[in-house]
Amino acid sequence: MTAPGFGAADSALVEKMMAGDESALAALYDRYSGMLFAMLLRVLRDRQAAEEILQDLFLQLWRDPARFDASRGSLPAWLMVIGRNRALSRLRTREYRETPEEIDTLPANTVPSSVNIEDETQRNLLMEKLRKAMAALPAEQREAVELAYFEGMTQTEIATHTGSPLGTVKSRVRAAMQSLKLVFDDGTTRQSGRP
Amino acid sequence: MTERHVNPEDLDLSALGALDGEEKEALEAHVRTCPACAQALEAARRRVALLAFAAPSASPAPGVRDALLRRARMERPMRVAPAPRPRRFAWLTPALAVAAMVFAVLDGWLWSRNAAASRQISDLESQIALAQTQNREIAHASAAADELLGAPGTMHVSLAQQPDAPQGRAGVLYNPRMGMVMCVGQLPPPPAGKSYQLWLVPMQGKPMSLGVYSGSKSSMEMMSHVAPGTEAKAFAITVEPLGGMPQPTGPKVLVGVAG
Repeated sequence: MTAPGFGAADSALVEKMMAGDESALAALYDRYSGMLFAMLLRVLRDRQAAEEILQDLFLQLWRDPARFDASRGSLPAWLMVIGRNRALSRLRTREYRETPEEIDTLPANTVPSSVNIEDETQRNLLMEKLRKAMAALPAEQREAVELAYFEGMTQTEIATHTGSPLGTVKSRVRAAMQSLKLVFDDGTTRQSGRP
Repeated sequence: MTERHVNPEDLDLSALGALDGEEKEALEAHVRTCPACAQALEAARRRVALLAFAAPSASPAPGVRDALLRRARMERPMRVAPAPRPRRFAWLTPALAVAAMVFAVLDGWLWSRNAAASRQISDLESQIALAQTQNREIAHASAAADELLGAPGTMHVSLAQQPDAPQGRAGVLYNPRMGMVMCVGQLPPPPAGKSYQLWLVPMQGKPMSLGVYSGSKSSMEMMSHVAPGTEAKAFAITVEPLGGMPQPTGPKVLVGVAG
């Protein structure tokens, strides 16, 4: 049931959670669970593991909403960064225990405040444009970015995995990110209210 | 140090978390002292954060939302204000105040009557508070059982009868990630001066006591917690001295291998 939090700003819902309002948690879950789950599933390729991390992410937010500082970053970006880190941590160990504390104590500046994707329409638009742009990338560039982002590989690991020289990997990632820059900048600047 | 800025390729790789080795250390050291590169790195991170959208659409099972809200409900008392005292007799407060004034002028008999009434009120309030506490405990136990049953990764372990042991049966639900254990079963009353004790035998280390069952109830229902992430090798029920022991010493009654 999304009605209680429908349309409310994330920061307002976080404040309600601080007061123990369970419907605010439900509203935030309804707003962001799909986006987060898609990313977690892509990283883990394991529905159960992705669902576990998804549930833990929101439970952590419920337990300690004050940990998210709305003045220093956007909630979905914060959830995505922490969720990705947790998923990659689990992917590496393949033996999920409690997430190490350091993963969740990210400095706020790792989640830029201009990334504000609360609005569902903008979120969907950005998603569509990004997917198109990713699909348009040369295969080796897309692979390099995906191996880094979704598989958590370092540049050295990508080089080994693809059999390409390190310099080539760097160039591919750079070229891909440059190609995606237009989509990114459009998304981040429009969302932050900049012209 | 800040004269030579970071290679833009490395900014993207760093934002992706893919930079490693000396290059990573050098970049991190540089951005600490170079505002321009720190800003560029932040911009790169801003872009990278949105890569999550490139994942194919997928939706979690509806049960995840339900389980989350159940768990949230269970933990809610930690944050919400304490339940207010029962207000059922609140209207009596002014009456008691008036009575107090009357006490000053009336005889000791009236005073004692009112004092008795106050004690009754106090007793009733205590009973109501006790009942509310019990209701909350029951609700929490019920919610905990629901949560355990609905949580991903919960395993069910049937405990098998051991030779020459009292006839009984029990099953354990255990979720390693949550560290939550529930055991339900039926056992005959333990021998005089003895209790049944439930144990989790971890993959590594000594058995952990999960609780003691004195046999006072018709069925055994135990809910316990261990450190999240504890991997269980087996569960066992032993006969121990009344009140239980730090480590198992008595005969095994029921045993089940986890996994």
